[in-house]
Amino acid sequence: MTSTSVRIEAVSKRFGEVTAVDRVDLSVAKGEFFTLLGSSGCGKTTLLRIVAGFMPQSDGRILFGDACIDAVPAHRRNTGMVFQNYAIFPHLTVVENIAYGLRARGLAAGEINERVGRMLAMMRLEHLGHRRPRELSGGQQQRVVLARAIVIEPDVLLMDEPLSNLDTEMRVHLRGEIRALQRQIGITTLYVTHDQEEALMMSDRVAVMSGGRVEQVGTPAEIFHRPRTRFVAAFIGETNFLPATRLGAGGNDTALYDVPGGGRLAVPSGQASAAGSPAEVAFRSHDLIVGPATESGWTATVTDTQFYGATVRLVLELAPNVFAQAALTGAAAQTLPPPGSRVGLSLHSQSPWIFPAKPQ
Amino acid sequence: MTGLAYTVTPNWLSRHLGFWPVVTALAFVALVALLVLPVINIVGLSLSGKDDQPGVLANYITFFAERFYYQTLINSLIVSSAATILAVLLGVPAAYFATIYNIWGRGFVRAAVVLTFVSPPFIGSYSWVILFGRSGLVTATLAEIGIPLPSIYGAPGIVLVFTLQFFPFVFLMVSSGLKSIDQSIEDAARNLGSSELSVFFTVLLPLLVPSISAGALLVFVAAFTDIGTPIIIGERFRVLPVLIYGEFVNEFGGRPVLASTLAVLLLAVTTGALLVQRWYAGRHAHGTAAIRPLMQREQPPLKRLLASAYVLLLVGMALLPIINIVISSFLKANGPLLLFEPTLDNYIRLLRTVAVPLTNTLLYTTAATVLCAVVGTAVGYIIVRRPGRLGGLLDGVVMFSYAVPGIVLGVGLIVTYNEPPLILTGTAAILILAFFIRRLPFSVRSAVSMLQQLSRDTEDASINLGAGPGRTFLRITVPLLAMAILSGVLLTWSNTIRELSATLVLQSGSTITLSVEIFTEVVNANFGTASALGTILILLTFLPLVVLFRFLGKQEDALV
Repeated sequence: MTSTSVRIEAVSKRFGEVTAVDRVDLSVAKGEFFTLLGSSGCGKTTLLRIVAGFMPQSDGRILFGDACIDAVPAHRRNTGMVFQNYAIFPHLTVVENIAYGLRARGLAAGEINERVGRMLAMMRLEHLGHRRPRELSGGQQQRVVLARAIVIEPDVLLMDEPLSNLDTEMRVHLRGEIRALQRQIGITTLYVTHDQEEALMMSDRVAVMSGGRVEQVGTPAEIFHRPRTRFVAAFIGETNFLPATRLGAGGNDTALYDVPGGGRLAVPSGQASAAGSPAEVAFRSHDLIVGPATESGWTATVTDTQFYGATVRLVLELAPNVFAQAALTGAAAQTLPPPGSRVGLSLHSQSPWIFPAKPQ
Repeated sequence: MTGLAYTVTPNWLSRHLGFWPVVTALAFVALVALLVLPVINIVGLSLSGKDDQPGVLANYITFFAERFYYQTLINSLIVSSAATILAVLLGVPAAYFATIYNIWGRGFVRAAVVLTFVSPPFIGSYSWVILFGRSGLVTATLAEIGIPLPSIYGAPGIVLVFTLQFFPFVFLMVSSGLKSIDQSIEDAARNLGSSELSVFFTVLLPLLVPSISAGALLVFVAAFTDIGTPIIIGERFRVLPVLIYGEFVNEFGGRPVLASTLAVLLLAVTTGALLVQRWYAGRHAHGTAAIRPLMQREQPPLKRLLASAYVLLLVGMALLPIINIVISSFLKANGPLLLFEPTLDNYIRLLRTVAVPLTNTLLYTTAATVLCAVVGTAVGYIIVRRPGRLGGLLDGVVMFSYAVPGIVLGVGLIVTYNEPPLILTGTAAILILAFFIRRLPFSVRSAVSMLQQLSRDTEDASINLGAGPGRTFLRITVPLLAMAILSGVLLTWSNTIRELSATLVLQSGSTITLSVEIFTEVVNANFGTASALGTILILLTFLPLVVLFRFLGKQEDALV
């Protein structure tokens, strides 16, 4: 497979007064599965469409390998794109859909047949070759457009929320399949999604975007365990934010923070905020351990218990109008403190993160 | 970069200019040559002053100073406004009953409205003369038993014909407007304690303002610019478009300056009406879209009976002239007198003369329809898919041609192309181009609405797979829109084949069309021949629509 690295250098896109993409720098290695993650309107789809050549960027440049492709029109960029709503050609059969890009490239009929045949086999679509798209299920249509994008041997595979129109079961199934396929053929992939689970599970690296900017780039584990900004901490996973005051140094090269409910949390000095400035501590709901209340420890009052099946969430009031959530699973979820009872709190071994407090 | 394993062979044009920029430029050239330039020329001529009285406004001063001229404008405004008001008063309740009530004969009502809508107005007016004219069938029969009828000639006759001929505009617009109101809106009003009547006036009517005003505008413009009806039934009641036409058949040679001045006034009124309607409808637009449209409801027997009677009577009246034409085409005729003797004479007599106008009509209509389909789809594509300053300007120019009446376009084309470098007057080309430009806004609008429903991603996918813009348009966009384009073709055909007002001023003897031939026969009081020709024309107009509604599953509101 001939694929390439992608470099996005200081790319911005403005629509009138609105800046949809704001000085984004990204570098995707050859063969890497790279995901742009963010909620709607964060600029991720705009960026993908710029890479595909559907709109010009306002500033910056894009390179495939060492070649700047800004002047190359969309139909000569040799990217394979998979669209959110499939964009299958409804008037063409499965085979004609897959062969479309090869025909546009003027390949010989023999080679087209051979490559389409190989693709049908790879996608397990052989028996559907002469069907029309309306006779296919959503999952089958998605496999057809994936085959259509891959068969042209694109430099980069671009995927714009390809799974969001499918039901949960099919989505879970296909994301495993797409991931395996991408590994197998080693194609550089730029993937757009708003689904964090999808992003974490499928990607080699993830860029979290917000307001047109990249908040953080890293492996899924880095993004999840070491969020660099408050936005990333809030966007990924379930996170509690509590106002905190820095008290001074704790043991083992840590800084000590006072949090509502009488808690004292230790943070490695290297990550601590400047002394005296207001800060927030943040930690995951599932890292909060709920136990019996103690005289001097960190305590809270249970105000609600929400049953989700495998997980039970406790809503805790730490101080008047300061709330946090605890997500309990397994044995901890079997015996629940009733609403109104006082409980003691502690954190799992992983330390909380510190962010500067949001300006009021 | 390792990709691009295929050879890149762009053609010269797309390498230097790109497919769509070239198409855009061609569209502009066509619109400027066929619409903008003619309009500029008539405005220019109207401001060129008079021989004995220089000054840019001299012609307008003459117009407004002499009663002979300005009275036609007043007359036109009177009959058009009256017809518009009546069409709204009759059409809105009819559309409401036909949509909401379980009236009898709904299929008949739909067919009758369509038939009325597409039949040429001048056929309607001379059919009324056959029935209620001085020596008309009904007039004569009633006179024998001593019942005198009021005269059908003059303003009342014009208003009658216009109202019955054009109320389908209101009917179709309001029917489609009602379909865009969600049932829950009505339910909520009823639930809050409103009676049916009060729901209609406090909820439905306000929501229908854009539809009603759009229908009213179409009635007004159609009535204000019609030539055939006032000539046939108006007698001494003179209206503005007939005055313009008169300038062209003037035996001392036409006076292009005067004709241009009159045409500019006509254009000013239609443009003004269009702008007022846009502004008014825009202020009252609520952007409703029905998830569950208003339902048809069972009514108590008496209500059902009265509503059915009202709707059937109205569409029956409107349909009467057409039925009359078809029947009288099989009756023996002696000039304007019809005898009750079945015969095929009218058709047999036609055999000798019909070949030229029929061939011309089919040829010009087909050519204009093809042009409309090709250019309309391309221009619609530019407006929807390639918005920008040029696309916006194109949109504006195309929509302006809505406001340009046939006779104005005819005058404009003649003054523009009757001298070197390009002489087109008297040729078939000028008729085809006039038909084309008149229907272009409709083709563009239908292309725009179908493209807005087509996800852009499908075309992007094609581009992404390496097909250029031209190839994508031909291989993806056009096939996907094939049915919609076919619908547009059928509608264009039906509307073009009966064109009269532009044709009257643009045709020469050898380029005569069916509608002009019928008109001539009517003016010469050969009612038998006129009826036979009229029947043929109605058939040619109606057949494509049968295909459209039967096989393409279109609703009647596709007509407006």
